[in-house]
Amino acid sequence: MAKIDEVKAQVEAGKTKLVPGLVQEALDEKSAPNDILQAMINGMKVVGDRFSAGEIFVPEMLIAAKAMAKGVEVLKPHLAGDAATSLGACIIGTVEGDLHDIGKNLVSMMIGSAGFEMVDLGVDVPAEKFVEAIKETPNVSLVACSALLTTTMPSLKNTVKVIKDSGLSGFKVIVGGAPITQEFANEIGADAYAADAGAAAETAKAMVN
Amino acid sequence: MLTRRQNLLETIRGGNPDRFVNQYEAFECAPDVPMFKMLFFDPYTMSNPFPAGPGAPDVVNSWGVTISWPANVPGPFPLHHDGLKVLKDITKWKEVVKAPNLDFPQEEWDKYKPIAGAVDRNEYFATYVVAPGVFEQLHYLMGMDDCLLAFYEEPEALKELIEYISDWEVRYAKLICENYHPDAIFHHDDWGSYKSSFLSPEMFAEFIVPAFKKIYGFYKANGVELIIHHSDSYAANLVPFMIDLGIDIFQGCSTTNNVPELIKKYGGKISFMGDIDNGVVDKEDWTKELIEREVRRACETNGKLYFIPNTTMGGPMSSYPGVYEAVSEAIDKMSKEMF
Ligand code: B12
Repeated sequence: MAKIDEVKAQVEAGKTKLVPGLVQEALDEKSAPNDILQAMINGMKVVGDRFSAGEIFVPEMLIAAKAMAKGVEVLKPHLAGDAATSLGACIIGTVEGDLHDIGKNLVSMMIGSAGFEMVDLGVDVPAEKFVEAIKETPNVSLVACSALLTTTMPSLKNTVKVIKDSGLSGFKVIVGGAPITQEFANEIGADAYAADAGAAAETAKAMVN
Repeated sequence: MLTRRQNLLETIRGGNPDRFVNQYEAFECAPDVPMFKMLFFDPYTMSNPFPAGPGAPDVVNSWGVTISWPANVPGPFPLHHDGLKVLKDITKWKEVVKAPNLDFPQEEWDKYKPIAGAVDRNEYFATYVVAPGVFEQLHYLMGMDDCLLAFYEEPEALKELIEYISDWEVRYAKLICENYHPDAIFHHDDWGSYKSSFLSPEMFAEFIVPAFKKIYGFYKANGVELIIHHSDSYAANLVPFMIDLGIDIFQGCSTTNNVPELIKKYGGKISFMGDIDNGVVDKEDWTKELIEREVRRACETNGKLYFIPNTTMGGPMSSYPGVYEAVSEAIDKMSKEMF
């Protein structure tokens, strides 16, 4: 197997200790840094699809994302300019009143590994803080909001409204979380909805392209 | 008319119930107790710091976990940011994790005996609430991400910690059984999201099953007739383990489990309580019509045996006032219609 395929396979398998060495070996073999990155992104796409299909579970996904992050550390100095973040910046957070972050973190990892530069605002994020972050961050192409409680669905609605009413533009808004549906996303004026982290990455890519 | 207790047993044993078991009715053995209406009175629980209510200041509980309950939030929550994690490095758990003391003088245990003693055990199961569960305790101590990564990165240390927590729980169980003789245990431990279990069945079998074998095995060997396990999630892939663990009722069973299918497959070995998702009915714009529709669907598709219509919430309550009661009313209507 070419080193670069091994990188992809070991990202899929979540081998956090092996991936950095393999990335170095692939670099030594003169593989293009962008191709190595793409191999890892492809690996994470497989992971996302398998998670959506119910074949793997949250720990497998976390460990794969960690393996990729370790690979990216080795790769970063070799990547030309901001090639790693060519899809723009994505602001992500869990809305005000809600402290659940497992789903949001997975979505962040998957959207990040699809080629976005992630700005994670954490949990319990007031609508105004999303707006501030959009203003402060260069090249924002996507804003992702998570809500896990039916009691914070109104907060999600408000967040989308405040972002849309801010007059800022040039980005799309994607929402998700266990009680959120496509209908609710439409109703509150979000640009997109995705049911899980794998689908979120796919939708994110499709929206900014 | 059968008592609530009899009617429940008829339902889960494939007999002749005379109506649906209405949500938690057979377990609400202490009707004057706020929120749970069940038993949880013992010197340990009563001295374990807990936020007094929404908006109350954060507390550090007896495991060292900081618990917060901000205003406008339906329930309490552990905090892990800014260095608040109790366990930052799982390999050091022995130095850091200290299980709470259970050595209270006998008078302290005696103090709460009248509450359990007052239960009408003909009508109700004297039901004791135990929460959080072993898996939950792990992520209360470590935060969810670190906890789930530890299953891969430090499996041996994690197994030791699981054993430490479950051994403590068995000691607690012994004191509960000796002093209050519960008929039923309502035990929380959330094992998944609505779409999947947190752990693969293989990992669940390796790490979590041994702990609950000890705990539920102990309760069953010491006079507890029913184990009701709460996991408001998808967990259809874990049902064979639940049966093996002696769980009688899987409460919190969300619609994503395909409950009618589970009943067909496992009815008689275990019963399912739920199939009315809080995500669907317990929201700001709930209506009686919506609730009646959901309850009708649940009752008609699941039938009269091995099924208890209930929201997925881990207690007789709802986030929006009136929702739990509206579900109960709708179930009564379905009982009149179907029985
Ligand atoms: C784990 C959990 C907790 C943990 C959270 C730990 C953490 N760091 O996040 C703890 C124990 C701390 C907790 C606390 C509380 N919880 Co809670 N919790 C859960 C539980 C069991 C699982 C949620 C989860 O992490 N799932 C795993 C992830 C991977 O799935 P997910 O979040 O759905 O995310 C996926 C998708 O939704 C999507 N997605 C998520 N976000 C986004 C964003 C975008 C942009 C996109 C595109 C997609 C997307 O992709 C993700 C990955 O595939 C659920 C029950 C359930 N079955 O969901 C209850 C649940 C959400 N909690 C609930 C409640 C009530 C609470 C509490 C209020 C009280 C309590 N004691 O239970 C507090 C809340 C405090 C607060 N202000 O937020 C209720 C909500 C009921 C309701 N009315 O909505 C639930 C449904 C349980 C229940 N029925 O009682 N909880």
